[in-house]
Amino acid sequence: MISKNDIAHLKDLARVEFGEHETDALARDMDAILDYMSALKEANIDNVQEMTHAFDIQNIVRVDQSVDGIKEEYTKKARSIIDAFPEKEKTYLKVKAIF
Amino acid sequence: MNILDFNTKLKNHEISAREAVISYLDVIKNKNQKLNAYLETFSAKDGKYDVLLEAQKLDERVKEGETPGVLWGVPFAVKDNILICGKHASAASHILKNYVASYDATAIMQLKKAGAIFLGRTNMDEFAMGSSTENSSYGPAHNPFHFDYVPGGSSGGSAVAVASDMAMAALGSDTGGSIRQPASFCGVVGLKPTYGAVSRSGLIAMASSLDQIGPITQTVDDAEIVFNAIRGKDEFDSTSVDSKIFSKETVSQTNTVKIIGVPKEYFTEGLDPRIKGIIETIIERLSKKYEIREIELPHTKYAIACYYIIVMAEVSSNMARFDGIRYGTREKGESIIEVYKKSRGKGIGKEVLRRILLGTYVLSHGYYDAYYARAQKIRTLIKNDFMKAFNSVDIIIGPTSPTTPFKIGEKFNDPLAMYLSDIYTIPVNLAGLPALSIPVGNVPEDGVDFSVGLQLIAPHFAENRLFEVGRIVEKLNL
Repeated sequence: MISKNDIAHLKDLARVEFGEHETDALARDMDAILDYMSALKEANIDNVQEMTHAFDIQNIVRVDQSVDGIKEEYTKKARSIIDAFPEKEKTYLKVKAIF
Repeated sequence: MNILDFNTKLKNHEISAREAVISYLDVIKNKNQKLNAYLETFSAKDGKYDVLLEAQKLDERVKEGETPGVLWGVPFAVKDNILICGKHASAASHILKNYVASYDATAIMQLKKAGAIFLGRTNMDEFAMGSSTENSSYGPAHNPFHFDYVPGGSSGGSAVAVASDMAMAALGSDTGGSIRQPASFCGVVGLKPTYGAVSRSGLIAMASSLDQIGPITQTVDDAEIVFNAIRGKDEFDSTSVDSKIFSKETVSQTNTVKIIGVPKEYFTEGLDPRIKGIIETIIERLSKKYEIREIELPHTKYAIACYYIIVMAEVSSNMARFDGIRYGTREKGESIIEVYKKSRGKGIGKEVLRRILLGTYVLSHGYYDAYYARAQKIRTLIKNDFMKAFNSVDIIIGPTSPTTPFKIGEKFNDPLAMYLSDIYTIPVNLAGLPALSIPVGNVPEDGVDFSVGLQLIAPHFAENRLFEVGRIVEKLNL
């Protein structure tokens, strides 16, 4: 059973906030879903490896190459990223104090 | 009109790209208000991307004597979680309501290069989480056969657009069936490529180890054309591979399917007997050309639970970036933590929050081994089932969905019931395999004929087998 306190803790960890009513409904849904998932307990997983990828691929690190100068394309892209800031001063992203 | 027919007409100067675009925009104008397939069409002249202008450019090139490529002027609908530079991409979420893409998804870039045109962005379940398009923050899309029913999801808008002549073809994304199930519900063709065959760069991630972009089209030929245009290794996605090279290494190149496998687990209770009847009739007809062999996929019963644990874990991690800081909607708060909590709480919808919290739970200390690690092991078992089956058969056949479309609202407040509707599509994503849904018949219900989809599943990188058998199945349509 997921308690209300559990949900409050999860909400904190996940950094979300919503009302009492939604919290109650969510606790019920989560119980039903986790109950369904407990069916996995009966599967025999002795000597089975965790699957991390669909088929064998290797991690490849590319060569670190410098790019000549800053192309117009990049400044344009930077501009559009700055435009998307919800709050800004000049070209700086504005946020509440972190500490 | 499908892609091949259009291309022939374009070559023979019987139609212009501009005329085609105009006729699609007209249909959208007439039908979209009711069906809610598109969230936006790109017909406004904002100086960045205008459909009519793009079409005109192509027409001029045709006039100057260039031979049009097969995708020249083809009007596409694009799911709202695939980025088009300069255009809004909201993943049907409030938190990305104002987000404008600063780059093209690789699949978009490739389609642009091939001469395709983008009519607009389509409705979906928020962040692709759902099987009905009801989880959209912008209202549900509607089934083209019956307005009161869901079109499936999460790529519901894309499937509706293709099914109701509002696009010649569309792009969707498939994490657990989100291309194939709506294709099945709307009577069109949907392809989920091998994991890694198509770059995920520019696709707003849901569950990164399962997501794939793929086409929704009117015919199997069209699906192959679009797939060939968007496939390939991409330096922006380290999990993408050159499937042409891989398929040479892993798939027999004799290229002809001889044996079709029928998994007995896909024909048990829970499958609508009318759908079962249609699929069995098709298999019966195929048995004149192919050897049909019953196979076992014994771990299918664990697939949904396994899938949702993995999805929720990956969702809780992928959704962390939507916090109202660098882009998206930001709510006011006294502290930075409060800004995060309020922006996420208000901007993100119920189903997504549910998955974030469940994901946080299954990944938390003390539960990791019981849920996530166990699910990853069962994922191996599910994949091994398929690998074993493909030792004796060339391709697997079955239904795409266990039921016909359900009513809007019917499963909306019962998330578990919604999850169970993806039983035949989910195992394919867990194993990273390619699969194709093709309309094969109709089931009468509530005064209309709902379409039924048949699913073909092939080994990794053997999309060619899907197209080969798919073309034959297409002609058997009951």
